[in-house]
Amino acid sequence: MFERFTHDARQVVVTAQAEARALGHDWIGTEHLLTGLTGGTGLGAGVLRDLGVDTGNVRRAIAAATRPESEGDEPDPAALETIGIDLAAVRRRVEETFGPGALDRTRGTPGRRGRRAGRHVPFTAEAKRLLERALRESLKLRHRHIGTEHVLLAVTANANTRAARVLGGLGVSPTMLRRRILATLLGQADSA
Amino acid sequence: MKDTDTLTRAAGSRDPAEGLRAVASLRVLLEQLQQLQVDNARDQGWSWQDIADALGVSRQAVHKRYGGRRR
Repeated sequence: MFERFTHDARQVVVTAQAEARALGHDWIGTEHLLTGLTGGTGLGAGVLRDLGVDTGNVRRAIAAATRPESEGDEPDPAALETIGIDLAAVRRRVEETFGPGALDRTRGTPGRRGRRAGRHVPFTAEAKRLLERALRESLKLRHRHIGTEHVLLAVTANANTRAARVLGGLGVSPTMLRRRILATLLGQADSA
Repeated sequence: MKDTDTLTRAAGSRDPAEGLRAVASLRVLLEQLQQLQVDNARDQGWSWQDIADALGVSRQAVHKRYGGRRR
């Protein structure tokens, strides 16, 4: 399937993987694909930007949605100081044993242990379905390649994905987005 | 300036906002350290029961929180 992907669409997947890894997530979800779509070139990215959806606000929405149970992502060193805990000293001790950044990598979130450092991050079932849907969108339009526009159309096809919910939160409805993409496609002489 | 702020804050520690903020931060730190040490224990071959005993909780609680398949 990936052979049919345009360069831009492939870049979306690459960016999505980097994004998932950077956030310490063990899976590439539809929300990471959405981040990839905002960051790239191609028709999909253009449509999103026209609707005011950029990498910044998508990332913020994802961060807000994956917030751990605790108050904040990081302990506040000043607050801890008021009860006599020197966070820097705790961090130093931990790092002596477990290496640099050991404390920060945990981020206090319960869940799967271990980092997939350097290894391939797999897709969630939802993300796989989205990419398969992108192929179907391309076929429906009788296009020869799967571009960012088809990936974005796939996002509009299911309102229950995380990507769709992020967009909903940013005031972009699936119907509106779908219409925009199709209008842009029809307005073009060529599809890139 | 920072030392004065700290002293002022410590002196005003009756403020629940301050106190609760410290507790909240301690909770985050606690969870980070717990995650780290549970990983460490598992890496060294500890069973969920061993870990639960060391933490003073049930095996089910630890397994539910840290074990099992990915989400």
